[in-house]
Amino acid sequence: MTKTEKHPLEKVLEQRIAIIDGAMGTTIRTYGMKEADIRGERFRDSGKDLLNNGDLFSLTQPKMIGDIHRRFLEAGADILETNTFGATSITQSEFFVDDPRETGGRKDPEFYQKVIEDTMLGDLAWEINETSARQCREWADRVGNDTGRQRFVAGAIGPLTVSLSNSPDADDAGFRVVTFDQVRTAYKQEVRALISGGVDLLLVETIFDSLNAKAALVAIREVFDEDGKDLPIMISAAVGRGGETMISAQTTEAFWNAVKHVKPLSIGLNCSLGPDLMYPFLSELSEKADVAVSCYPNAGLPNPLSETGFDLGPEDMGRYLGGFAKDGLINIAGGCCGNTPEHIAAIAKALQGVAPRELRVEVAA
Amino acid sequence: MKGGNSSDPNDNYGDSGFARMTTVGGMTTVSGKPLRLSGSQPFTQQAGVYIMIGERTNVAGSPKFARLVKEGKYEEAVAIARQQVENGANVIDICMDEGMIDGVAAMTRYLQLLGSEPEVAKVPFMVDSSKWEVVEAGLKCLQGKGIVNSISLKEGEEKFRENAAKVMKYGAAVVVMAFDEHGQAATLGEKIRICSRAYKILVDEVGFPPEDIIFDPNILTVATGMEEHNNYAVDFIEATRWIKANLPHAKVSGGVSNISFSFRGNNKVREAMHSAFLYHAIAAGMDMGIVNAGMLEVYEEIEPELKVLVEDVLLNRRPDATERLVEYGETLKAVGTIAQEKKAEEWRSGSVEDRLAHALVRGIDAYIEIDAEEARVKLGRPLLVIEGPLMAGMSIVGDLFGAGKMFLPQVVKSARVMKKAVAHLTPFMEAEKAALEAAGHVVKAQGKILLATVKGDVHDIGKNIVGVVLACNNYEVIDMGVMVSSEKILERAKAEKADMIGLSGLITPSLDEMVHVAKEMERQGFTLPLLVGGATTSRAHTAVKIAPHYSQPVVHVLDASRAVGVTTSLLSDDGKADFVAQHRADYEALRKAHAAPKQAVVALATARQRRTPIAWRAEDLATPEFTGARVLDDFPLATLREYIDWTPFFHTWGMKGIYPRILDHAEQGVEAKKIFEDGNALLDRMIAAKSITARGVYGLFPANAVGDDVELAGGPRFHFLRQQANREGSEPCRSLADFIAPQETGLPDSIGAFAVTTGIGLKALCDDFRAANDDYNAIMAEALADRLAEAFAECLHKRVRDEWGYGRAEGLSPAELIQEKYRGIRPAPGYPACPDHTEKGTIWNLLNVEANTGIKLTESFAMWPGSSVSGLYFAHPEARYFSLGKIDRDQVSDYAARKAMPVVEVERWLGQNLNYDPAG
Repeated sequence: MTKTEKHPLEKVLEQRIAIIDGAMGTTIRTYGMKEADIRGERFRDSGKDLLNNGDLFSLTQPKMIGDIHRRFLEAGADILETNTFGATSITQSEFFVDDPRETGGRKDPEFYQKVIEDTMLGDLAWEINETSARQCREWADRVGNDTGRQRFVAGAIGPLTVSLSNSPDADDAGFRVVTFDQVRTAYKQEVRALISGGVDLLLVETIFDSLNAKAALVAIREVFDEDGKDLPIMISAAVGRGGETMISAQTTEAFWNAVKHVKPLSIGLNCSLGPDLMYPFLSELSEKADVAVSCYPNAGLPNPLSETGFDLGPEDMGRYLGGFAKDGLINIAGGCCGNTPEHIAAIAKALQGVAPRELRVEVAA
Repeated sequence: MKGGNSSDPNDNYGDSGFARMTTVGGMTTVSGKPLRLSGSQPFTQQAGVYIMIGERTNVAGSPKFARLVKEGKYEEAVAIARQQVENGANVIDICMDEGMIDGVAAMTRYLQLLGSEPEVAKVPFMVDSSKWEVVEAGLKCLQGKGIVNSISLKEGEEKFRENAAKVMKYGAAVVVMAFDEHGQAATLGEKIRICSRAYKILVDEVGFPPEDIIFDPNILTVATGMEEHNNYAVDFIEATRWIKANLPHAKVSGGVSNISFSFRGNNKVREAMHSAFLYHAIAAGMDMGIVNAGMLEVYEEIEPELKVLVEDVLLNRRPDATERLVEYGETLKAVGTIAQEKKAEEWRSGSVEDRLAHALVRGIDAYIEIDAEEARVKLGRPLLVIEGPLMAGMSIVGDLFGAGKMFLPQVVKSARVMKKAVAHLTPFMEAEKAALEAAGHVVKAQGKILLATVKGDVHDIGKNIVGVVLACNNYEVIDMGVMVSSEKILERAKAEKADMIGLSGLITPSLDEMVHVAKEMERQGFTLPLLVGGATTSRAHTAVKIAPHYSQPVVHVLDASRAVGVTTSLLSDDGKADFVAQHRADYEALRKAHAAPKQAVVALATARQRRTPIAWRAEDLATPEFTGARVLDDFPLATLREYIDWTPFFHTWGMKGIYPRILDHAEQGVEAKKIFEDGNALLDRMIAAKSITARGVYGLFPANAVGDDVELAGGPRFHFLRQQANREGSEPCRSLADFIAPQETGLPDSIGAFAVTTGIGLKALCDDFRAANDDYNAIMAEALADRLAEAFAECLHKRVRDEWGYGRAEGLSPAELIQEKYRGIRPAPGYPACPDHTEKGTIWNLLNVEANTGIKLTESFAMWPGSSVSGLYFAHPEARYFSLGKIDRDQVSDYAARKAMPVVEVERWLGQNLNYDPAG
């Protein structure tokens, strides 16, 4: 339980604001990839559309993904996220298993039990995680060596396509499509594969349902205990306009109370709101949390009529995050959906030389 | 925030007797770190404020609750939790420990229901069970930080440590009972001994946060007539004092009603005892207790005589204390209780419209049927209640949600309340319908709405919520799930005779799919309205991009709270025409606003100014050892073998995994090894027998960039395209031409080209295998040839870098080469950086590829034989792969002019990259 030595990233955080990379999904789209590109030979005959299963690109288009990783690193990212946002058997099942609702059935724990036990999905999820972690490891080390600045790989653990807190049944508010144990099982596999691929830390992110996140945190703890590992954990929630986790509606401080026990390296907000709407909740988190605070918002709100699909350009993001930094709110900064390497470069530039938020230690009242 | 657990302690003080009691009982101080918990909202212990834990959701504390759970009446059981929170409980204790109840199932079901009850879910939950599996089942339902009640040393240290570690894993505080292997601690000495032992184990060995440890030193029943029980209250109070003084940050709790168990049936005495006991225990430092929030007397208001008698008992002040209190108690029995279970509900005095709105906004279903009935009588028709006050209430919900003042679960809860109102009104609507039909009128059936997340998109949590809200409003909802193709949606809509289709999508590509569905609906002559929703959709996008393709209303629905307003209007006989007219006018205005000039893509001229920034220096330009073309005939296959990237080889055989790890894969390893061995055996034979021949041609040529072309010495040109779309801020607009020194720099530069094949002889070899019915080796030979061709390209690139003068210092292994850890790129026409396949024609002319290697170009500029690779070489250190993306008309016409190719032909080859509709 006791940590003997500080993680190198913790040392970085004492010195300056660390930069985390931008969005994978929206950046992939700038490469103009088509369905055939993501399928490659391997998934040529897959029944459902795969193009939006962005994690698969790490297997079928590693060069493009590598190019994106490289660009983010060259833009100044200290922390590189693996391309594994949907790399669990549960999320992958959406792309490979027929939706029972098409034929009058429903998704329920029985359905997801089959998913959890499906070796094809399990192996695929494992492979995506391990492969992406390894690819990131290579790029992070390569650029790190070239620039003389250590880079870190964060194993990205996404929120899933199902919610443990919400009932899709109008007649039964207590119904859940999936169980905690199923979610935990899927996450455990992801965590193991990410560690096997060589990540430096784990990032539970875009949390819209705190219970899903708790299942991920329990999974991480169990993997650490069973495998004798211990990596730093970053936690980041996606909140709505009232600062609540979007599906389970937990407010910022409540969320922090709920996850504080894992002693994360950082707690923060990402995705959902653009930076301006995020400010009050980030400010609250910064006030309450006694660990590093991270912030990587979307490039504004989605705007399907703008070319990038989002409102804000690189300079805008640099300006906003620069403002957060000057207000002493953040220790880790970057971007989520709509943030390209150029956005990250602008953010890195805006934060250069700006002091990080002081790390607080809770004192007895 | 009424009755909530806001950080302002004054917020908690409604008019319940309990709350007033706590203010006066507030002599305690919180020493050390406060207890922090959460439901959907945070709870932080305030200095000097006692934490009240509701006990009515405990089967042991409430026979009514136990009965409801046993009878499966969970809805009513949820109402009890709600009442506890409304009465001011900061935390509610949930216990299902009863012989006839399946604890795991009941705990899970109840907590999941409470999770969907926003007014209850805001407070932290205490999961109470003596069975660990029930505790763990409860923890799996808590999104916040709750409390486990309880663990103890009863089963020894090992089990204690193990359970404590599990509690920590789930992130909860824990109640530790003063119990050990020998039993319950009754005396002060036992309480101190067991609590300090447990504390040391938890803090020193398990690493449990001390502020999250809550000791329950056992509140035992006094006034039992047994003399040894007389000091139990004092023992608890003194143990509390000792714990607070000696075990830093630890908290103290207890089950308060135990103290008065001997006075069952005499609530007046019990209330006074609870109140007086808490008064003294809190003064000693007790932080919280499990009590019935509605069953407490205010300490100051206890009759003086009763107070003395009660305190004599509690504080063990005289030997006959019990008898005296029992005697006095008999005289009180008839009087009844003074504390009220429920406070008066002011909102009930408003108009029926206000009450319905209030019930919907606050998610209260207790009176919804009564109010719906009152409104029906008042308004005359059931439908008017739905379209009037109920819809108005939902509209307030929508406004509050839009403003971030209500959250999704509350919207869903409001819908569930709505469902009850609608359910009450339905029989009246059916009767009305029957009467109309009998009178010869045609009456519409209940609205039927088909929902689907479009093809390519897997996200549907939001759509499911819309489905719930609609279903609660009496619509028949057909949910087709995720990744649903346009054909399936429309087919089902026809088969089901749906009244409306709702499309959902979260990611940007779904927007195009929605456009597609709209076009299909138009083509197939649909007349249903189309609804559009999801994170990246917008009103403007719907108006500009989707609605123009379909002549029926296409309406953007902002969120679940707005769905019913739209569907009701669209299906209303009276309201539809107005709604549609307004809708069309609004969307037309949006389209006009959007049509105002807008920079969708960077103009070609601007894009050219934003070329890849490269400072041209002679030392960055490699000088080749030779120029012109070189032919490699019969290149040694054994050499190529070393450059093979085996991973795709396994993919050909449908095996996922990375070489070499796949060979050790638990399930596929055996098969992978066999294929790998067979492949290598065949490769040995192919190499030995020279069954296939590797041929290639490559060349390096002096060249400079001229605009977006690269001109080679002697005149031939490669034509390149430049990025125009999605270039935000200062992001460069790249073209491959950027990586060759522009003519105006005066610096001599060069470009390379190549074409290689390992497919010569392959067809004959495969034909032989197939003639011998050996398809396995035929496929194997093709797979190997493909790998060799890629290997040839990689190997040749290495050689070219050496001959270009900059590659010799690389010192990379073949594995590193496969990973492209080197300077320079070899993009191929037809791939993302230069998607025009016809540029291969220039390579073929330049290198005389067909004559030198036998590789032919088909009409569609594909290479034959298939096991061939061609491309261009760029050597500049800044050269990199990129994707062209979309280009605009200005570039297409410029490109057509450069290539001397008709614009329509260019558009045909570059169809995927056009940022406009060439037909439009």
